Amino acid sequence: MSAAPDISRAPAASAPSAALLVRRLPVPKSRRRMARNSFTATAVAILVVLHVIAFNSTGFEPALLVDGAQGMGRFLAESFPPDLDWEKVLKPSLEATLVTLWIGLLGTTLSIPTALLFAAFASETTTPHPLVYQAARAILSFFRAVPDVVFALIFVTAVGLGPFAGVLALICHNTGVMGKLWAEAMEESDQGPVQALSSAGASKLQQTFHASIPLVIPQFVGLLLYRFDVNVRSSLVLGLVGAGGVGLLINQAIKSFQFDQMLTHIIVVLILIVVVDQASALIRRRLAA
Amino acid sequence: MTAVEVTGLSKAYDGTKVLEGVSFTVRPGELLAFLGANGSGKSTTLKCVIGLTKPDSGSIRLHGTEVCQLQGAAQVKARSQAAMVFQKIHLVPRRTALDNVCSGGLMRVQGLASTSPAFFPKNLKEEAMACLDRVGLAGSALERAGKLSGGQQQRVAIARALCQRASVLLADEPVSALDPHAAEQVMALLAELAHTENLAVAAVLHQPDLAIRHADRAIGLLKGRIVFDGGTPALTDQVLDTLYAPDRIAA
Ligand SMILES: Nc1ncnc2c1ncn2[C@@H]1O[C@H](COP(=O)(O)OP(=O)(O)O)[C@@H](O)[C@H]1O
Ligand SMILES: [Mg+2]
Repeated sequence: MSAAPDISRAPAASAPSAALLVRRLPVPKSRRRMARNSFTATAVAILVVLHVIAFNSTGFEPALLVDGAQGMGRFLAESFPPDLDWEKVLKPSLEATLVTLWIGLLGTTLSIPTALLFAAFASETTTPHPLVYQAARAILSFFRAVPDVVFALIFVTAVGLGPFAGVLALICHNTGVMGKLWAEAMEESDQGPVQALSSAGASKLQQTFHASIPLVIPQFVGLLLYRFDVNVRSSLVLGLVGAGGVGLLINQAIKSFQFDQMLTHIIVVLILIVVVDQASALIRRRLAA
Repeated sequence: MTAVEVTGLSKAYDGTKVLEGVSFTVRPGELLAFLGANGSGKSTTLKCVIGLTKPDSGSIRLHGTEVCQLQGAAQVKARSQAAMVFQKIHLVPRRTALDNVCSGGLMRVQGLASTSPAFFPKNLKEEAMACLDRVGLAGSALERAGKLSGGQQQRVAIARALCQRASVLLADEPVSALDPHAAEQVMALLAELAHTENLAVAAVLHQPDLAIRHADRAIGLLKGRIVFDGGTPALTDQVLDTLYAPDRIAA
């Protein structure tokens, strides 16, 4: 300590002769840097190898795209101008898009109770027992790993073609994703208030209701809005496999080569997605304030 | 009878002794200050008494009841005679001051009524209001805890401890995060609660001068052992030099 130069004695920057008194000291050599550099080099080399394998395995061939540009051009040319016939195209498109929105909405809100229950079980701070914790984690992983499209295919065979199957599919997948995100939010939150209630003799359940959950309400709502956004988009894809909504119309338009109708549907969907996106951004901003 | 009676308390973390044969008492009606350098074991002592840490050996009696041997509900009940006040305060910022104070009394609420502040029984809320009034914050009952100043938040936390109906108040650096004026107010409140409500109050304090001004008695810890136990007038410069020697060497 005593060998270090006394910085406080350096003259104020405003003094005219300040530059003359500026001193320099050699920067100590870092031994860690060498180790870090060789680690970075290895990581880059591995990434390069992985990319070569990936290019070969996916048949990545830009030349094919150039050759096929003609076909794509024809496809686009046939789509223009979009078919805006009210009775035949636009009205059904708007109606189906609303159904898509409703599927996304129900798929999100109806998964709140299940996601909350599993989140409480699958968070270290609120779980009633380590075994319950393990089981809840496993169940959440399963619902997360199975894509919503697969759930949709399963439910279509159970309850038939239509939006109901889409809602059920979203509830399942969204429980998995939101349960995990909420559990993590609770684990990462400040454990102080939980400890305070525990030392006041509150039960585990009371600690959950009066500390763990209220502490993360803003994160919960933020994640919920984010999932609503994702679910509305997902419900589009669900339509492609017969689970209702505007996805079904897009699928039909493509199969019957009515690309101008397809374009109308896509434009309507685009508007919906922008509106949902803006609305959830607005709510999140209000929430943060 | 003494409110807190600790005898031969020892605790080690990974083989390193943190507390060695710590014995002391806290009587109703007195404010006891814990002093000592960083890492001398002040927080660990309070955590053992409140039950957030399990001691390796020793006995802890709250109003004559040995709490370390008890299990389950009996232990929770015996421990709840003591309440903890933290440096970081630990309120739920989005909830109102009143709801935070009510949560101190959750032990007396069962079933559905304890799942949401909306279902809290009227008598709990009225008791919480009285506790808030005791710390001078009845007027801020419906404000969000997070919107209050640091000093006000710490007073809400003290009200929460009162709503727990605790007769022993343990405070770990309750004023270290507060500005001098708020610190003075909170220390005066703790002393007043000891003297007029006959609570046994033990507070870890970072500044010896706060202890000298507000506490009745002080305990000095040095590397896990008690090296001073006496009235605050006996806290001479020499005693303080011994207590804070480790901090000075570290600096
Ligand atoms: N959970 C823990 N695990 C390991 N060591 C701990 C833990 N808590 C405290 N310690 C150690 O015990 C010693 C005493 O800590 P503490 O009681 O917090 O001291 P004080 O409050 O007097 O500053 C310190 O050396 C600290 O590093
Ligand atoms: Mg401490």
